[in-house]
Amino acid sequence: MMAQILFSGLALGSIYGLVALGFAVIFKATGVFNFAQGMLVVVGAYLAVTGSTQLGLPFPMAVVFIVLAAALLGAVIHALLIRPLAGRPLLPVIMITIALAIVLRAMIELIYGPQARALTTPLPTGSFLVGGVRISELHLTAALVSWACMAGVGAFFKFTSMGLLMRATADSHEAALVSGINVNRINALAWAIGCVLAAIGGVFLGQLQVATVELENIGLLALPAVVIGGLQSIPGAIVGGLLVGLIEQFGSGYISPKARDILIYAPLLMILMVRPWGLFGQRELGRV
Amino acid sequence: MTMTTQPPLPASVQLPTIASPSAAFPWRWIGVIAAIAILCYLPVVLDQRAIFGFRLSNLQLLNIGLTQVNLTLIAILGALSLNYLTGCAGLISIGHGAFYAVGAIAAAVTGTQWGWPFPLVLVAAGAAGAFAGVIAGLPSLRVRGLYFVLSTLALHFIVVYLLAEYQYKFFDVVGIPFNEARIGPVVLDSGLRWYFFLLPVVVVVYMCLRNTMHSREGRALMAMRDHELAATAAGIDVRILRLKAFAFSSAIAAVAGALYAYFMSNVAAEFFSINFAVQFIAMIIIGGMGSLAGSVVGAAIWLLLPAVISGFATHAGGSSGVIGQFLLNSKPQLVNLVFGLLVVVLLIFAPGGVAGLGTQFRKRLSSWRSTVWK
Repeated sequence: MMAQILFSGLALGSIYGLVALGFAVIFKATGVFNFAQGMLVVVGAYLAVTGSTQLGLPFPMAVVFIVLAAALLGAVIHALLIRPLAGRPLLPVIMITIALAIVLRAMIELIYGPQARALTTPLPTGSFLVGGVRISELHLTAALVSWACMAGVGAFFKFTSMGLLMRATADSHEAALVSGINVNRINALAWAIGCVLAAIGGVFLGQLQVATVELENIGLLALPAVVIGGLQSIPGAIVGGLLVGLIEQFGSGYISPKARDILIYAPLLMILMVRPWGLFGQRELGRV
Repeated sequence: MTMTTQPPLPASVQLPTIASPSAAFPWRWIGVIAAIAILCYLPVVLDQRAIFGFRLSNLQLLNIGLTQVNLTLIAILGALSLNYLTGCAGLISIGHGAFYAVGAIAAAVTGTQWGWPFPLVLVAAGAAGAFAGVIAGLPSLRVRGLYFVLSTLALHFIVVYLLAEYQYKFFDVVGIPFNEARIGPVVLDSGLRWYFFLLPVVVVVYMCLRNTMHSREGRALMAMRDHELAATAAGIDVRILRLKAFAFSSAIAAVAGALYAYFMSNVAAEFFSINFAVQFIAMIIIGGMGSLAGSVVGAAIWLLLPAVISGFATHAGGSSGVIGQFLLNSKPQLVNLVFGLLVVVLLIFAPGGVAGLGTQFRKRLSSWRSTVWK
């Protein structure tokens, strides 16, 4: 039982880590705390429904479709909602992401109807036994793809010139502007990356369960994940996601499924009181 | 240590202006009396679906019923308290729905289980809310801004979990039942009676908050919101002030929660979702941050507009074919879409909300008047 829970916790945690990574990329670049990240996960699941079931695209084409559509959505969100609010206080920016989530939910329900949709892709769905632990192939694929995406994003930031520009912009908007970086384009790119990562998470979550707007609650677990890991930290987001996945699985396995929220949010409150900058984040210094 | 000098006023505080001679005629009082008359007659219109004996159709009444108005009055309490906390004290709380839940729990324990009379239950709910508010405000001593928002979010999930556990332990899945509200010999069993009970409560809370904001305490709050360090330097103990603001605001919200529970007569934990908490933020954004009148307007728009929209959707659905059917089938989604877009548009184009638009309009009007009459 222990090893079984460990496996599913790590697999789900990898997906949460992926969604949280998207969240952290957006936060680092634009300073926006994106409460719509959970809804972007749902968008990913429904894009998969459209791509593979409704349009009947072959699977690789469907993947390209999902990625492109999610990236486009991110760029549009940035241009329409985030840019006009640049330099405004915290609450309007938070609220506009919440409003975005409301609008996205309403549009999804208008387009696809309020019922849940089954999502089928040609990904392997069987399972096999390793040393008494039942390994679900879908969980395994989800975890592997998540890690591949995380590694890809990490490599992008570390080795490409665009990644360097993004890191520079995240460090200081003014300095980046002075050096001739098109900050708006960089921020749009950050939103596109954040949306794509959430959408990939949504494709797997939609397939592990069903595609429904209720996936938002699972997607929102990215929030405690990033805070536990440290808001500014990319590895922190991944570790936070894994921790949340493990807490969730062990909590529902040994205590009760209902206790999930409190088991995740009580440590969050504790961390906020003791170490607000998270496990991996940098301590923020206040200046007058 | 006692303060001998007043702290300097922050820029945002408006000093009372000296009344101009033209204000000698009591327009103000005529307005107040007219408002009272309308507020007293309005529920009768909605209750009898007729005005001075003329019957009105559902569409003419904008599909609004008295229940909706009563729920609005309760929501106004929540919006007012959140606006006091967020707009005036600058403390953003996403978990304001949690204090509603605290009020509901307190009402369930004292009212349903111990059988206390209704007015005492409200007092108990207020006390429980104030206590919960102090607890919830504790992180504000340590963390700022975004981190504090998150701590209120965590608080929301914890309180809702406790409510669910309490509900499943003592009651069943259906929810917690509440007795009928009884004040002395009067039982609040009709919409009209509820209305005439809730309206004075809202007015009293509104006046209380208004007077607080114009007092030394309110000015200190706004100074703290605008510049914490400057406020500290002026001798304000921001820590105590924060906790006080939190306790005050959450006591009001908890009373509103208890009223809500009694009004609905049955409350389940699932009801206090994060969307429930978010709607109060939406109300004060629509109405205008830091404006008490704005929160009243915002709450009214948030609760009454859905009825209006769905009323028109039903009307259109009866008249035309495919589009009408579509409107009829997806009323809640359309309402959500309209609200989400409304909040987005207001945030981008009118950050001051409806109250800000009103101020702008008044300024335009007075400048237009002064140019025309010169």
